[in-house]
Amino acid sequence: MDERKQRFERTVLPHLDAAYNLARWLTRNDHDAQDVVQEAALRAFRFFDGLRGEPRPWLLAIVRNSCMSWMQINRPAELAAFDDGAVERIADDAGTPEDLALRAVDRRRLNEALAALPAPFREAIVLRELEDLAYKDIARIAEIPIGTVMSRLARGRRLLADSLRAIENAAGPNAAPKAAR
Amino acid sequence: MNRDEAARLLDAYADGELDPAASLELEALLARDAGLRAACERIRAASAAIRAQADYHRAPAELAARLRVSIPAPPEGARAAGGLRRRRWLAPAAAFAAAAALTWTLAWTTLRPAAEERLAGDAVASHVRATLAGRLVDVESSDQHNVKPWLSARLPYSPPVSDFAAEGFALRGARVDVLDGHPVAVLGYQRRRHTIDVFVRPGAGRRSGGYERDGFNVERAAADGMEFWIVSDLNREELAQLARLLSARSPG
Repeated sequence: MDERKQRFERTVLPHLDAAYNLARWLTRNDHDAQDVVQEAALRAFRFFDGLRGEPRPWLLAIVRNSCMSWMQINRPAELAAFDDGAVERIADDAGTPEDLALRAVDRRRLNEALAALPAPFREAIVLRELEDLAYKDIARIAEIPIGTVMSRLARGRRLLADSLRAIENAAGPNAAPKAAR
Repeated sequence: MNRDEAARLLDAYADGELDPAASLELEALLARDAGLRAACERIRAASAAIRAQADYHRAPAELAARLRVSIPAPPEGARAAGGLRRRRWLAPAAAFAAAAALTWTLAWTTLRPAAEERLAGDAVASHVRATLAGRLVDVESSDQHNVKPWLSARLPYSPPVSDFAAEGFALRGARVDVLDGHPVAVLGYQRRRHTIDVFVRPGAGRRSGGYERDGFNVERAAADGMEFWIVSDLNREELAQLARLLSARSPG
């Protein structure tokens, strides 16, 4: 087999799970995630000679790019959330001290809440919490300054906690009296 | 640093991404501000809940298979120096590239014994094959009393098997693979999202020393007549920690 292709398979394909996980969280369905990753992998192969440093963030940056192109065609409304003005407008007041919601949250609810987050926050959280990437890698992948990585993570976590608290309060049998917000 | 700034930096602090000076300043504020401490705890709880509960979507097996077929072979003669193929070695440009590659290889191998280099490469290749095939372990168990007899029944030696879950390296199971032309025990460990292969075989190898191959790290350890080759995409520091654990633990 061709040596370059072999090297690509050894270096890049071990990170296929990470690529798929990111695409799956951004497109939110299996079929589109597979298409996006396949397209991204072919582009990665084309740019393979330009790979410097760690292969995983490099591949994820390409996958993220493919996801953005996919969104442009299929989810233009979601793409608008990446406009920083829109990001800033989201209310950020939370801070009720009784934050039991997150400790006892069940898996399904957390996954639904994460899937419902606006894409910029979902992306930052998936890269940080599921891929365990450093801020500088996330900044490179999402093409934002490190300060924005920090603020998106902060707001994303808070939005997630808020929406879980709202769900728990609405659904839980011992719901707090001051339920919705 | 005032309270607003501190509140803004809390996530970076909880993520270990704040520089040491700012961390110290923030810790001083945290020590005397219960509200900030509670906010910091909320961030940590959110982070822990996501890590524990959010789905990690692994690539379906057919996607890897599909990719390997769809990645194109290069057009004939497109790159002289990139893809050397046996039959083309006689082409002058390729021969020059081969000579350059040979010089480079020689320069490297004089720094390390060639056999060790080759073994590190073999171990990485085995780890990658197992990852791609989705069969990192053939016997899945975190109980060393299940794993050890399974290996002993398949190998001419009985490798030591320890679970280091308490130290953050959880035993997932084992498989038998081939290294250097001989069957060898491979113990699978898990640390966060990283899988770690530990190849165990009889020998009095060097106790330490690391390699880096294609983005994977390889660490060495030895204890009681066994040598360990540890392969993972995990960082060098944490792999070295596992190497120390393996060296310290006498075979059970």
